[in-house]
Amino acid sequence: MILTPNILVRLVATVVGGVILQLSLFSQVTLFDVSPDLLPALIVVLGLLGGSLTGAVCGFSAGLLLDCLLIVPLGGGSLVLLATGYLAGLFRERFEIHSPLVAPLLCMGLTLFAELGFGAVEMMLGFDAPVSTLIVRDILLKCIFAFFGGWAIYVGVRRALRPALVDDLGGRRSGRRPRVLGA
Amino acid sequence: MYRKQVRRRRAVLALLIVGSFALLTVTYGQGSNGLQRGVSAIFSPIQSVADRALKPARDLINWFDETFDAKGRNARLHRELEQVRKQAVGAQSALAENRQLKKLVELDDSGAIPGGYTTVTGRVIGRSPTEWFADVQIDVGSGDGVEVDDPVVNGDGLVGHVAAVTGGSARVTLIVDHSSAVSAKIVPGGIQGVMKPSVGDPEDLILDFLSSEKRVGKGQSVVTLGWRRGDIGSHYPPNLPIGEVDDASLKVQEAQQQVHVRPFADLRDLELVQVLTGGSRG
Repeated sequence: MILTPNILVRLVATVVGGVILQLSLFSQVTLFDVSPDLLPALIVVLGLLGGSLTGAVCGFSAGLLLDCLLIVPLGGGSLVLLATGYLAGLFRERFEIHSPLVAPLLCMGLTLFAELGFGAVEMMLGFDAPVSTLIVRDILLKCIFAFFGGWAIYVGVRRALRPALVDDLGGRRSGRRPRVLGA
Repeated sequence: MYRKQVRRRRAVLALLIVGSFALLTVTYGQGSNGLQRGVSAIFSPIQSVADRALKPARDLINWFDETFDAKGRNARLHRELEQVRKQAVGAQSALAENRQLKKLVELDDSGAIPGGYTTVTGRVIGRSPTEWFADVQIDVGSGDGVEVDDPVVNGDGLVGHVAAVTGGSARVTLIVDHSSAVSAKIVPGGIQGVMKPSVGDPEDLILDFLSSEKRVGKGQSVVTLGWRRGDIGSHYPPNLPIGEVDDASLKVQEAQQQVHVRPFADLRDLELVQVLTGGSRG
């Protein structure tokens, strides 16, 4: 990803907008009794498009903002989302992405990772209550929502960050047909 | 060149991880800190605007959900049910109080909220995205008189308590959060216990450590106990309705001294809540 001031502004707007949307919209609606959690999917997409460093920094920032707005101990959300973004970026750096299913599937898988991570952080901080088996259903449904949401997020964020994407620049250049002078 | 990049990447990653753990260590156990108050001051108005602007979208999605689940309920009947439930719980509590000659609190007209408390109405503007902790953010804070540990209710019953406040917002820890424990009693009967959540299932609470050998029956109401001994006391005033006993099998009661309770308040669909400020607790 080619980072210019313009692209940085877009990244910040994407992260801030994503956190606000998650808190004000997705966390407050229920589909099949579960609220979608699309923040990990957004971070996965940013990691996929920008690489491991971009993914980690965006994940950390989104987690920090989330913790600040929810007035919970800082650092838990940052830790989980930075790991999510880093893993997504690492996947992009290690493997070629050919199938359009890769992004949604990765969103699904890493949302599962993030949800388990949130649970692990909570347990690390002290957890003294029985856990219902329904939480497994809830987490799996969140992963399915992340699959479908991830698809849309990938398209949207890719469009927003298109000027910074090396792959797209190459694609556009090779796709342009040379103009024939005098025709 | 590539190695330099890899080193830089690892350094940033290590810095972020160490930063996260440092933040966790420093801020764990604090109500709210300067950074959160500052961020909250900036983003609360934005969240409020976003909350209002996105309400039609939320309503649409929730409408679909309710249609799928066949949850559409008649609003008038629902209101009537709330009213009757409050009156019933209030009446049962009042009878229990009379029998035991305890006149510790003054109940308001509905019998649910004790006197001496001022209610501050807040709108839910944010909600924790994960099932592991159950917090909501509301748009009233210390500027409106809200303090940490103030009880929070809605039209149906107890919702939780204020866990942290900033000038214009507050975090409410719901009764289904893993950190929640509410001293409660069953009415009529007065059997006491501690209400704990079953994490991941917002429609199931566990009334544990039942302090009596009396049997609890399905359908009995559960209200807050509101105890006080010297300077120590419950966050909650007595007789706030919490829920009704949903599963009270004899086997579980005898073996584990617990019953399952379904909360009155729909904790997945909170929009407006009331914070009970002031008043003497317990």
